[in-house]
Order: sequence, then C-alpha cells, then structure tokens
Amino acid sequence: MTNLNTVDPATVAEAKLETNDVVIAKSSIILRRFLRNKTAVVGLVIFLALTVFSFVGGFFTSWDKETIDPFNIGMPPSAEHLLGTSQAGIDLYALTVEGTRISILIGLVVGLVSVLIAAVYGCTMAYFGGKVDKVMLFILEALIMMPALLVVAVATSGGGNGLQETLPSWLLLIIVLLVFSWMGTARLIRSLSMSLMSRDFVKAAQYMGIPPRRIVWRHLVPNIGSLLVLDITRGVTGAILAEVAFSFIGIGIKVPDVSLGVLIGQATSQVSTFPWMFWVPLAVMFLLTGSLAMMNDGLRDAFDPNSSSVGSARKSGTKTGRTRKTQEKAV
Amino acid sequence: MSQEMTASAASAGLPATDLSPAERLHVAGLHTAGRHYTDAATDAVLSVRDLNVRFNTENGVVHAVRGIDFDLRAGKTLGIVGESGSGKSVTSMAILGLLPPTAEISGSVLLQGKELLGLNDKAMCQHRGNDIAMVFQDPLSSLTPVYTVGTQIIEALTVHNPTMSKQAKEARAVELLGMVGIPSPKDRLKAFPHEFSGGMRQRVMIAIAIANNPRVLIADEPTTALDVTIQAQVLEVLHTAQEETGAAVVMITHDLGVVAGMADDIMVMYAGKPVETGSVDDIYYNPRMPYTMGLLGAVPRVDVAEKSSLVPIEGIPPNLIHTPTGCSFAPRCPLASDACLQGEPELWPVPGGAPGGTTVGTTGGGLPHQAACIKTDSLGLEVDVREVFKAPAVPESRFDAIPRAERRTVLELRDVRKHFPLMKGALIKRRIGTVKAVDGLSFDIREGECFSIVGESGCGKTTTLLEIMEFHKDQDGEVVIGGLSNKQAADAKTKGAMRKELQMVFQDPTGALDPRFTVFEVLSEPLENAGMFKAQIRQRILELMELVGLQPDHVNRFPNQFSGGQRQRIGIARALAVNPKLVVLDEPVSALDVSVQAGVINLLDQLRAELGLSYLMVAHDLSVVRHISNRVAVMYLGKIVEIGDVDSVFDNPRHPYTRALLSAIPVPDPVQERTRERIILQGDLPSPLEAPKGCNFATRCPVFAALPPAKQEKCLTLEPELAAAPAPTDQQFACFYPDGELDEDMLVVHDTH
Amino acid sequence: MLRYLAKRAATYAFMIFLTTTAGYFLAVNTLKPALLEQERIPRPTPEQVANSFRLKGLDPELSPWERYVEWLTAIVTRWDWGRSPNGAFINAEFGDRVWISTRLFLASIILTLIIGVALGVYTAARQYKASDRVITSYSYLVYIVPAPIAYFLVQLGAININETVGERIFFVTGISTPGLEGDGWAQFVDMLAHYAVPTFAITIVGWGAYQIAQRQYLLDNVNADFVRTARAKGLTRNQAISRHALRVSFIPVAQSIAFTIPAIFAGGFFAEKIFAWHGVGSWSIDAIALQDVNAATATLAYGSVIFAIGAILADFATTLVDPRVRVQ
Repeated sequence: MTNLNTVDPATVAEAKLETNDVVIAKSSIILRRFLRNKTAVVGLVIFLALTVFSFVGGFFTSWDKETIDPFNIGMPPSAEHLLGTSQAGIDLYALTVEGTRISILIGLVVGLVSVLIAAVYGCTMAYFGGKVDKVMLFILEALIMMPALLVVAVATSGGGNGLQETLPSWLLLIIVLLVFSWMGTARLIRSLSMSLMSRDFVKAAQYMGIPPRRIVWRHLVPNIGSLLVLDITRGVTGAILAEVAFSFIGIGIKVPDVSLGVLIGQATSQVSTFPWMFWVPLAVMFLLTGSLAMMNDGLRDAFDPNSSSVGSARKSGTKTGRTRKTQEKAV
Repeated sequence: MSQEMTASAASAGLPATDLSPAERLHVAGLHTAGRHYTDAATDAVLSVRDLNVRFNTENGVVHAVRGIDFDLRAGKTLGIVGESGSGKSVTSMAILGLLPPTAEISGSVLLQGKELLGLNDKAMCQHRGNDIAMVFQDPLSSLTPVYTVGTQIIEALTVHNPTMSKQAKEARAVELLGMVGIPSPKDRLKAFPHEFSGGMRQRVMIAIAIANNPRVLIADEPTTALDVTIQAQVLEVLHTAQEETGAAVVMITHDLGVVAGMADDIMVMYAGKPVETGSVDDIYYNPRMPYTMGLLGAVPRVDVAEKSSLVPIEGIPPNLIHTPTGCSFAPRCPLASDACLQGEPELWPVPGGAPGGTTVGTTGGGLPHQAACIKTDSLGLEVDVREVFKAPAVPESRFDAIPRAERRTVLELRDVRKHFPLMKGALIKRRIGTVKAVDGLSFDIREGECFSIVGESGCGKTTTLLEIMEFHKDQDGEVVIGGLSNKQAADAKTKGAMRKELQMVFQDPTGALDPRFTVFEVLSEPLENAGMFKAQIRQRILELMELVGLQPDHVNRFPNQFSGGQRQRIGIARALAVNPKLVVLDEPVSALDVSVQAGVINLLDQLRAELGLSYLMVAHDLSVVRHISNRVAVMYLGKIVEIGDVDSVFDNPRHPYTRALLSAIPVPDPVQERTRERIILQGDLPSPLEAPKGCNFATRCPVFAALPPAKQEKCLTLEPELAAAPAPTDQQFACFYPDGELDEDMLVVHDTH
Repeated sequence: MLRYLAKRAATYAFMIFLTTTAGYFLAVNTLKPALLEQERIPRPTPEQVANSFRLKGLDPELSPWERYVEWLTAIVTRWDWGRSPNGAFINAEFGDRVWISTRLFLASIILTLIIGVALGVYTAARQYKASDRVITSYSYLVYIVPAPIAYFLVQLGAININETVGERIFFVTGISTPGLEGDGWAQFVDMLAHYAVPTFAITIVGWGAYQIAQRQYLLDNVNADFVRTARAKGLTRNQAISRHALRVSFIPVAQSIAFTIPAIFAGGFFAEKIFAWHGVGSWSIDAIALQDVNAATATLAYGSVIFAIGAILADFATTLVDPRVRVQ
C-alpha cells in the first residue's frame, strides 16, 4: 500500500483508544478561540456587566424612575443621588438603569429577530431561485428603497393612532426597526448560500443522495453560521445606535418611556448647565456599542475555519454528554 | 486564426530590411545570440551566488531560499524544477527585486556584471522590463483588467524609452503582438484582456516581457494554467522569443516534461535548496540524488505502453521554519541512514562529471553536474528507481483475465446531449446562440475497467460527468447506471439505488470537503444516509481510513490540517464508503504535486484491482490517462472524435486531433523532445458561434489544411461519423481522411540548438 | 445599454409607485391633522375644520381609498401633489426645500468623498504604520457614534470656541442672518460663518466609511498579479500601485459614490434638524409632526426617486469604469 503515513500496529492501537475521544464538540473549539482574543473577552465582560447592571442596578438605590425628589431638582451627583437628578427631580441613576435596559432590549430583539428573518428569507430565495427569487428580490429592494426614518416617524409620531395607545413606544420602535433592518443581511445571505450551493462539497452531498433539507441544515447553515453570528452583533449595535439617533431628534422612544437616546436627547438643551445629565448616558452608550464592536472582532476570528489557532484547540476538546454515550455504545 | 510562429518563419528570422528601431539598436548593441562562449563565469549574463531569502512570519523565520548558485549565458536556458513550496518562484522574485520589503535577501545577483541585490526600487526599475523581464504563471490575473492590451504593452516601452514617439511605440506594439502570434494585431491592440483567451493573454505577457529585448527572461510556470495544445503554442512562442532576442531564459516549472526539450541546464530544488544541478541530459539520464530520481519516476509517460507502477515519494516537504540539521529530504528518502542526519549535505560534483561539461549527451549550458547527497557515488546508472522507492507491484484485477465483451456493463450512455443557451452582455443578457456542450455522446463502461475522456477545456468532458451525475428523466438521451435507466424510473428510490452504484471524486480536494466537518463527519455522512448504525459506521470509517492509506487516528482532524494529497485520499474514501461499482473521477490528481500525484494514482490503481471498481475519469493530462486507463475517448466540441483501447489510440492515433493532442504533450526525455516532430494546432477552440457545419475540427485541422480543395469540400459540408478502424483494434474515429498528409506549416521540428 | 437602462427605470418606477402608495396609506391612516386644529385658540368647531380641510383637498370624512384616488388623480393629471393643512402648496414648497438641502450637503459630500478616498489611499499605502492605525481607528470609532450626537458635539465645540473667543465666529444654526445688510464681502463672511460648522460636522462623520472601503479595496489589489506585472515592466511600486491598482480598486468605490451623489438633493434628517436648516429632510419630519399627509408622502416619494436614480447611476458608473461589464 502506498501510504503517506505508514501505519504501524502500535499507532493503530493507540488510535483506536483515541478514537473513543473523537467527535469533538465544535462549540468548545469556537469558545476557546474566542476566549483567546483578549479584546473580545473584555468586550464580552463589559457587555454582560452592563446587562446585569441594567437588571439588578435598580436594587442599589431607593429611588425609582418615577419618584420625584422635590428637594433635589437638577442637582449634580451627591451621596443621596449617585448620578444626580434630572430637571424633573428624578434620580438619574434609576433612569440610566432603566434606559440601559430598554436600549439593550431593543438592540437584542432587533439584532436577533432581524437576522432570523434575513436567514429565512435569504435561504428561501437561494434555495428556490427562479421566479420566487425574482419576486422576493423585488420586495426586498422596494423595502430598501423606503426611507426607514420616515416610516419610523409616522409610526411613532402619528396622532390618535390605536397602535400607540396599546403598545409602549419602545415596542413600536422595535417593530418598525425590525421591518427595516433585515434586508441587507438577507441579500448577503442569499448570495452566500447561492455560492455555497455551487461548491463541490455541496455537490458531493447531493451526489451521495443526501436529502436537500439535510444539506441545507448540515452544510449551508453552519457555513453561513459565522456570518449570522457576526450579523447579530452588528445588528444589535445598529439597533442601539438607531434608537439613540431617533430618540435624540425626538421621533423614537417617547416619554414616559426611558431609553439612553431619550436621556441624551433631553439633556442637550442644558448641556452646559447640567453636563452630567448628558455625559452619563452617552458614556453608557459608548460602553455598549464599543463592547459589541470589540466582541465582533473576536467572533470573526473564532468562527473562521482557517484560523491559525486551530491546532492547539484540537487536543483536549471537552465532550458533550451525548457524544460520550454514543462512544460507549460503539465500544 | 493564422499563427505565424512556426519553425519555418522563426528560423528564417526577419528580413534584414525590415528591422524595427529596437532591433536595430539590438543588432548594433549587445546582441550576442550568435557568439560562442567558453568561459561560463565571465560571460554569464546572469550569475547568482549564494542567494538566500528569509521571511519573517508570525510563526518564525521562514528560510525560503537557501543558497542558490548559477551562471546563465546568453541564449541558454536554465530550468528550475521543484514542487510547490520548494522556493523556485521566490528565487525568481528575489532576482527581480519583487519580494516584499519584509523579505531578507542576501547573496549576490550579477546582471551583465552589475550587482542587482541591494538596489532600491527605483534603481531596480532601470533593469526590470529592460534587460531582465519576467512572464508570470497566471495569465488570467496578470494583466490589468481596466486597460487595453495596447496600453499595457506601450507602457512597457514608455518606461524605458521615454523619447520614443507615439507612432513608433504603436508600431512596435503591433510588431510584438504579431511576433507572439496574435492574429490581426493592429485591431487587437484596442482589445481589453477579458476579450482574450488564457493562451492569448499569456502571449501578450510574453510580448510585454520581450518588448525591450531583455538579456534575461524569467518564465515562472508560464504554461501551468493552460491546455496542452495551448501550452505547446506558448512554449513555441517562448522559444521564438528567445531566438529573436537572444536572451537567456530561466524556466521555472514543476513539470519535468516542459523543460526537457527547452532547457540546457537543470536545477532541481527541494526545501529551498538546490539538490541537484547539471546539464539536462545529466539530470534526466543520470540522476544522482534520490529526490530527482523519485521525481522522474513519479511522472507517468504518455509514450510508454508498458505498465509499471509510479514511484511514490512518501511524506511531505519539511517546514522551512526549522533549520534542517540533516539532509532535508532524509525523512522521505528510502535510502536515508543515520549519516544523512548528520549535517546537511552540500552540492558535490558527481564523480565522472567534468566541471562545466557533461557526462552524457552533448548539450548543456555549463552548469556542472552536482548533487547534494552523501550517497551520490552509489547511485549510478544501474540503480533501479522503482526498487529504491519500493514502488508497489502492478496490481492485477480479477476482471483483467475476462474478455471485455463478457463483462457486465456498469454504465451506458446513449446519444446524450446537453445544449446551453449562450448569453451575452454583463448587464443585459440576450441569447446569441447555443453551446452544444455535449452533442450526441454514446459509450459504455464495463466492470473493472477505467474509461477516460480527454480533450481541451471547453470540449464538454466535465459537462458529460455532470449529466451522468444528474440522472433525471428530462435529460436528452439515455443514461443507464448498473441497469437502471433514467428514462424508465428516475424517482427518489431509483435515484437512491443509483447513488449506491455511482460515486464521485472531485478535482479540487479542498473545495470538495466541507471545511467545518471533521474527517469523521465527512465519511459518516454517506454511511448515515445509507442507514447504517453508529457502531457499524465507526467500524467502516476506520476501515476506509486504512484502505486509502491514512492514519485512523486522524479522523478528528479538519480538512485544512491535511496536505492536498491526503485530502484527495479523504475524498476517495468518501466515494468508496457505500461500496459503489463505478467511481467518477474528475481530474483527480491535477491539483496535486508530482510526487504526491504518483501516490494517489497508485492508490486508485490498487483500489480498482482490489475492489473490482470501474472508473470514469476526466483528465487533461494524457500521461496520467495512459497510465491508469484501459479505454479512452477523445472529445472535441461536445463530440467523441476517437474512442478505443488506450494503447491502440495512443500508439496509433487515427484522428488528426488525437494526433495533435498527443504530439503536444512534452515527454520527460530530452533526446526525444529535441528530435520529435510536433504538430502545433492553430488558435484556440473555436467559439460555439463559429461552430462549423461539417467537421467541427476543420478550422484547426492540419490535415484539412493540406488537402486539395476538392477534398476539403467534403469536410466542410458533411459531418464525419464514428467509424471502426480496421481490426484487430476496437478503435473508432470520426474523420474522412485519417491518413492525410499533415500540413508542413503546422509541424515544428525541434532542432538541437 | 439604453434598453437596459429603460428596463431598470421601469422597474424602479413601479417600485416607487408601490412604496409611495404604501406610504400614503400609512400616513393617511395615522396622521390626523384635525387633532392639531383643536389645540388652536380660539378652538374652531369641527365643521369649520372639516370645511377648511375640504377646501384644501384633505377631507377627513372621505375613506382613505377615496382620498388616495383623488390624490393620485391630481398628481397624474395635473402634477399637483396637494396642499398642507396650513394651506401651503406642496409643489411650491418643494423647490425651496431642495435648494436648501443642496446648499447644505453639496460642499460636505464633495469634501467627504475626496477626503475619504484620499485617506483610504494614503492609509493603504502605509498599512499598519502609526498614521494608518490612527486614521482607521478613527473611522471605526465613527461607526459607533450616532450621527446626530456627533453633529451635536461639533455644535457644542463651536459654541465653546465662540465663548472662549468672546465673539460669535460660528453660527451653529440657520443658513444666514436674517435681514443682514452690507456689501458682498459681509454677505460672504456671514455665509462662511453659517456653513462652516455643519459642513465640518457632516464631513468628519461621513468620510470614515469611504476611507475604510477605499483602503480595503486598494489593499486587496496592491498585491494583485497585475501590479506585479506592472512592476516587472519597470514601474516602481508606487507607480504600479497608482497606475494599476488604484484604478481597479476604484471600481466599487465609484459605484457607491454614484449612489451617494443624488442624496445631496434629498438632504439628511439629522443634520438639517440639528443645524436648523429647513431642507427636505427636516421638512419630512416636520410634516409628520404637523400631521401633514401630503407633504410626508411627497418627501417619501422623493426619497425613493433619489434612491432609484442613485442605483441607476451606480450601474452606469460601473460600466464607465469597468470595461469588463461594458456592453458591446
């Protein structure tokens, strides 16, 4: 036999032992690679800390976002009010906690759901092709054409609308942002899956008689998976930024709902007299978007199958319970 | 369609009255082609001493080139041979100063006595494109897409002749395009690169390189991306260009056949170091370094019928980050002993080889025969490479003994057609014609045989494979696989049954494996689909790994952790997983290095014998086809023009196209290459729009060109059918005048220079 | 080529019709100008309001479909885009608004493109050097700053300068000082004082994207095979890059530039809002605040048209700079 690696019995025996350790959980490899990127880890830590803060931060103060402190109106930070109070006399710390939560909520929901819509829409276009693809592409382009901001403004500012009475403004903003945020990703996913469909390994699977559903699930999805994850972080950043921008000029979230954009926007008129009201929520926003940008870089590296850090992650992959069971059966 | 670059035109040279300004300069100046040299060192136009190149990478310092020495005289050709990663391209880039500034280069490069190393970019530009020029590997990407061909040629003239008038430059550009054999050069000046075929673009590259009559021309794998017929044309153009300019040529290649006819001297490189140098005859007939011997033994021969296994060189080249402590080839060398690991051997003169002369043969440019092996002395002419490298015995299939007619048919095609609408325009698409990619194909494959389809790219061979793999009812023509016909039942169940009979191995082993799958997952996919249990799957995968010669403990690895050859083995293992009867091989070794290729070919041969497989192979390398096939079909523009037993077709080709194809293939045998008559086909494959009425091949046919007009009429109006050649062969061919005279203009006789 | 463009234009016209129609129904269903009228003092009776709106073609008692048909008929037959609740004619207002937007954005977009592309080339040529790192990091930083906040910060900076100097050098809002008397020079200085801050703000926020794109495309090409060929001809590295790589790398950038150009006329919501220039962008926002169905729909239609023109221009630009897609 013309081996590249001459097989001697010892290695085969050893190999058999080692094969019981096989089938590594790929998620653990990706995690390891991600953890190796220091910037990304710092980003993740900041983001998680902010998320936790937005949920439990309220317990560290006796004030909430509605109670007015009549003795402290527009006061700078003090022992009583950690971050001072707003012009209405509401504790700014409580407002920031609430605003951060709303902003993260908007970001996460819009980021995740829009990528989901994009993936389904894009894959459908690529998979069916032909007429279906043409019609869906037309709809997609028409949506790209609509100036999103106008629609946001109409939906959130229109008077006497039943929608606005039943839905809080942040939910309305989420819905409108969702409608206008998925098209770019969908188009990207479409072209990517189309090129994947013509790749040899997909052809090989087809020629092996693997059913199309399984090909999509086992070959297409994992190969666009990294793009999806990256697009989620990008989408979250985009949604947080959009919320701030819209609320800043007064067409996004409406008072009494609070968000970072609302807090920043409200503070602009007195930025020289009450600077803390402006800079504190702005700093939180930068921490949020900055941490996401830092994570993005690490994720890209972790999902790249050609990453140079493959080697050392391979050795000691932790096993998932299921693979262990199959292996026991196999032995 | 006419190509002037033929031997008669070239050897006659240009009429003296018709010299261009550049050439007059040339004659008056340093044109040295005619002179005879005796002293290599002083008369060398290019001499390289102790050239070293290091790259700083994240993983450490890669010592890519380690000590190159050579002298090159005007009009002579040096062939640098090596596998990918051996440092041959880096050497050429270092000489031209085209390496990135991070590369650390030491040594000396003298061009006509002037030191080139250490010159800054600006000073180097005085020489680049002027007295030293280069032709690159990939013609498709080597020309700027947004400028016309004329602009790019004229740019090369402008840089070095700023005072030249616009008219003179244009005239010279037209002359250059004519010289490299581009028809109607004046009009083509205004064409953009994308309007040219690959072969045409390589001609343009050569025109740019010789624009200023360089003293040294470096060609880096100039024909690797091209079809054999086009390769022969381009090599001929290079040859002519060399004769016209009298330049010294450095020819870099991995193909031992390409340089056999062209080179005077050869340098074999391995792991960044020259391991054997000498005249072309020394290297081919008296190799003294096991690596060279292995390389020569690893190449199948198109002109040899006798079946013998190829010499596989096991293992992979060393990582150049680590400084070798011993001979860098030792880990792969069958003769390696402990002594080989004690220090890296230097190049030593081969005993019996005169310095600057030759041991065998008569040609040579003056490179002494040297080899970097401590066992050189014991590796004389009488050593059998196959024995040294333990080439496996020729495997025998149990079917070989049974006459073909009595064997079961595993695949049959009846009048299969595939026509595509031809669209034009990048933004607006409109149909301007029909491409008959496959046009009425019929053949059958019996148990245990390997059937190959050959032809230039665009002849429809890959489409044929895809049509077979598609297997559905609406196809034009009938495909019968293992008794299942696409016409009778093409439902999911029949298709499933068909898939168990037929599997495929792809050309690009990297693209064919999902980068996110481990080898285990890759191999388990077809098994799971076949409904096997987990335990059986594990068993079968370990079996498969051993079958294709991979270590079973590598099943956890991802494809990118394997070398190209190993990846192709994984692809083969996947195809064999469900025990198919027939395996379709689409250019299975074309993406692999020569030494690795031999291993994979031997493996395929052995599997066919052991498992009683049948192969349907598509390949452009006719040497590989001859080595592995039993039967062969030659395709041209969607039709089979000749079909039959491989030995009868290759030894006694009847169709003019087969004859041209075979004659275009370079053979790794210098003497034979030099004396061989070669048919050079004119032009490229005709565009489908110009598909002729009668015989498809008439536009390029050398026999047709030599026929009297009365007989030509028949070729132009009637379509020749496949007809059987006289017994005893089962050969069939489609030509009215198979024994017609070849047109002399299309023959190139290689004279010994 | 013409046939292709005509086909594209027809597709886009259909799309514009659809988006505008959708926008109209959304607006007509959500915007109720009558509610605003009731805040007037003295409060008009509902009959008065209805009457006044009926005269302006904004009858709230008609069904959305009837109003749509009426509105569409007026556009198709008379090219009349209707009136605002305050009686102003949309057609008349439009020209002024577009002209203001154009003045605000023309200079800054030209600056954005030139600076962005130039810095992209500059940083690509100095990849990984300090200047590249600084400039590219800045461009990435711009990505995570919402545009209105960046504009606001610039505005804040300008106010600070004014205060430090103690003199009003920059005007941070408006186009010109109303009722300014004086000769041409005084007018010119006044114009500069008004233009400086918004132009600066839009430019420094805008060029980041072009810098990153141009840098990336050029880097993709500096090591291309054809650049190596050019160097082998005898061009220096810089010559080869500027004559060959640059031209090729500019193809996708030209496409996006072509896309941006028409946007000059459409203005931008954020900049116009913050610098208080009453262009098309701020009109659209105001229209919604004032419950103005016709103005909102008209700006939406206008935005779609600008997008379509941009897309067609981008196609055109590609065929212009890339011979490979040129149609013979």
